Amino acid sequence: MATEESKNMTRKIAGLAEQAGKGNRGNFQELMNMFQQDIYRLAYYRTFSRMDAEDITQEVFVLAYRKIKSLKEPQRFRAWLYTIAVNRCNDFLRKRKYLFLLQSRSAREQEFEEAGDTDKSFTDTIAKKKFWEQVKLLLDKLSAMEKQVFTLRFMDHQNINEIAAILGKNESTIKTHLYRALNKVRAESVFFEEYRESIS
Amino acid sequence: MKKHNDGHLSEEWIIRAVVDEKELSEEDHCHLMECRLCQGKVERFTAHLQMFGERAELSVPPLTKIIRIPQGEPSAVKYRPSWIHFAGAAAMAGLILFFYFLGMDVMSPQLATVQAPENLFEDEYLMLEISEMLEYPLSTELYEIMGDAADFEEDYMQFIVPDFQEDFQS
Repeated sequence: MATEESKNMTRKIAGLAEQAGKGNRGNFQELMNMFQQDIYRLAYYRTFSRMDAEDITQEVFVLAYRKIKSLKEPQRFRAWLYTIAVNRCNDFLRKRKYLFLLQSRSAREQEFEEAGDTDKSFTDTIAKKKFWEQVKLLLDKLSAMEKQVFTLRFMDHQNINEIAAILGKNESTIKTHLYRALNKVRAESVFFEEYRESIS
Repeated sequence: MKKHNDGHLSEEWIIRAVVDEKELSEEDHCHLMECRLCQGKVERFTAHLQMFGERAELSVPPLTKIIRIPQGEPSAVKYRPSWIHFAGAAAMAGLILFFYFLGMDVMSPQLATVQAPENLFEDEYLMLEISEMLEYPLSTELYEIMGDAADFEEDYMQFIVPDFQEDFQS
């Protein structure tokens, strides 16, 4: 049932991507509405900054709109869009590393403001801030590739096959990196303390 | 590599099962299907990872910016960047060649053409240079020391070094 639904969705996306490639603006708009939250989250998981994630999301869709005619397989639109987003995030992070001194407002400070939604309580804001700090600590323990694979699998909810397509690697490479990442995460992260206690 | 721990899958193989159950050998896969303890470990770890992902999703601040697509139709020009690079390189090469030949022309016009030895006598510029060299084979400084320079002033020299023979006669 779920597989059938997923196949229908893939067909729908492919149809929209094909029409968008022929210059149909409305269909691209529909694709954008379907994926903008996912792309925004993907960018946020990598930048930990709302403003940067929003800017990256905008850039990703502008780039995708400009290049959609070069997409030869519309059924691979999702992987193609994620590839653009991941590459854009990597470019951004590379630039941010060099512009670190100019950015006096660190992501940590910024995130504290950003995490504070007006309709949420102060405790919730603190909890979110603490959560992202722990996520950062967890991801800092992983290598660049492990981080990429772990984030795509468990935060962006992509399967092995999709991750391989997004990163342009083969599936066994992805599995190896994922295995290494999980080994570190299970052994060291506070998120898995309960699990560690349960198996000891 | 030790696969089993007291007859159960080791932690390493539990993680491999979380990554992809197909990674397990047939024997291990059969064990996982039958063993509640190992199954429980795989399920617990998977559930923790899923909870982590869901919590991350809920902790992302909401998207406030309205994402817009640019005006106009999507571009179909795929090779524009490489064209720009090619045109730039060609223009640069043209400029280098232009200045190279221009420089040669200004610095040494006589080098621009190579003449046959029998035609050298007809070259006025060359013959003029040769005749000047024959007439004045030494440098100007040497002629000044010798008193044979072209702008040598006889009166001035007479003033500096008077002719004693003339004084004596007068």
